[in-house]
Amino acid sequence: MISPRHISGILALAVLLAGSALAQSGRAPSVTMAPVGLVTAQRASRTKVPLYFRVAPGFHINSNKPKSEYLIPTTLRMDVPTDIVLGEIDYPAGKDVTFPFSPGEQLNVYSGDFTINLAVHPLHSVNPGKYVMHGTLRYQACDNAQCFPPKTLPVSFEVKVIKEPPGPRHNPAQSPHIHN
Amino acid sequence: MASPERSPQIPEENCEWCPKCGAALKTSEEIHKVAAPGTPVCETCGIPRIEPQVDHTNFGNAPPPVPGRGRNPLALLVVAIVAAGMLYVGFHMARRTADGPDAPAILGKSTPAPDFTLDKLSGGTLKLSDLRGKAVVLNFWATWCGPCRIETPWLVEMQKEYGGQGLQVVGVAMDDSGNDEIEKFAKDMGMNYPVLLGKESVGDEYGGVPALPESFFIGRDGKIVDRIVGLKGRAEIEDSIKKALDTQASASNLPAKPSSLQSQN
Repeated sequence: MISPRHISGILALAVLLAGSALAQSGRAPSVTMAPVGLVTAQRASRTKVPLYFRVAPGFHINSNKPKSEYLIPTTLRMDVPTDIVLGEIDYPAGKDVTFPFSPGEQLNVYSGDFTINLAVHPLHSVNPGKYVMHGTLRYQACDNAQCFPPKTLPVSFEVKVIKEPPGPRHNPAQSPHIHN
Repeated sequence: MASPERSPQIPEENCEWCPKCGAALKTSEEIHKVAAPGTPVCETCGIPRIEPQVDHTNFGNAPPPVPGRGRNPLALLVVAIVAAGMLYVGFHMARRTADGPDAPAILGKSTPAPDFTLDKLSGGTLKLSDLRGKAVVLNFWATWCGPCRIETPWLVEMQKEYGGQGLQVVGVAMDDSGNDEIEKFAKDMGMNYPVLLGKESVGDEYGGVPALPESFFIGRDGKIVDRIVGLKGRAEIEDSIKKALDTQASASNLPAKPSSLQSQN
């Protein structure tokens, strides 16, 4: 007898098949970002924040320093709250790859997983608490035969600003004659 | 001994609960009316417990329920298989129409090429229908498109080779970058054919042009004879050009005035 479990299995298979077909037909490339946990940043110091991205299989995007002036580099732009300074954005080096469409030329690209590091530096004046950092990753993707228009991926993560530890205590200077 | 609890399995609002055994039913009298030999009996009070589906028969004139779970597994199986098939076939059809070189569902062969008027990079405008009588390669490209940089020199060569036979390549730059960059690219590539400043609305007319390069090969009669998505071989482009050149222009399709478009960006 066919049980509901069998039917559920058939439906699940149908969804998988459909998903597979969709993935094959999915001409739109995707870049996704892994969720970022709460970043704890101490006031008046720099905290490194790694952002992990993944380019869908079969696609590549230009690195931050593509080798052709016409290609659109991958760039991260962040809008940071006042009193939180954004350090330099550290892009990974891309891979030099030769594609069928550029047999005589190497392009510098990201594919698979890549990480962009940035640093946040809450100033001393920031009130401790949680702050949301928003930004966008702009990229332009291609596969081996065609290219897709530039896209932007929303980027956000939360920073918990904490007070800096108290500095070393110094005893107040005393007059050598105080006990006289 | 634990007292019997009301069954949580009967959610119907009209049900009442037997005061003795907690079984769900409409009225306590129905217990004896409905219960048949073989009906489970409450161990606590000896009153037959009424199955949930028995309750359903008491509403309106519904037919007697199918024994068991009340659902026909065979029917569900058929529905599941049909749904799976429809999903699978549907997505495959979507894929074929989206990226197949034939792309019959978007702009099929023999479909009249949608007409448009666009600004030329060199100034002025170009109306596609003014090119009737010529074989046209409508090539969508962009400066940021790597494969376009491979394909463009081929189109330049084709324009030189087949221009005398009535071929007209037309480049449509689907580019957000400024005209300066497009002009520089066109100059670097030695484009010897008109370059138009593309608009999304025109791309939409041609199936959205989701990726570049994409070329439509239009016969002398203004109808699409072929379409190539992405970078393909030079020979494939040339074959499609020949197909377009082999078409015959109908007298009504000929433009009033011949266009002089060679070497115009």
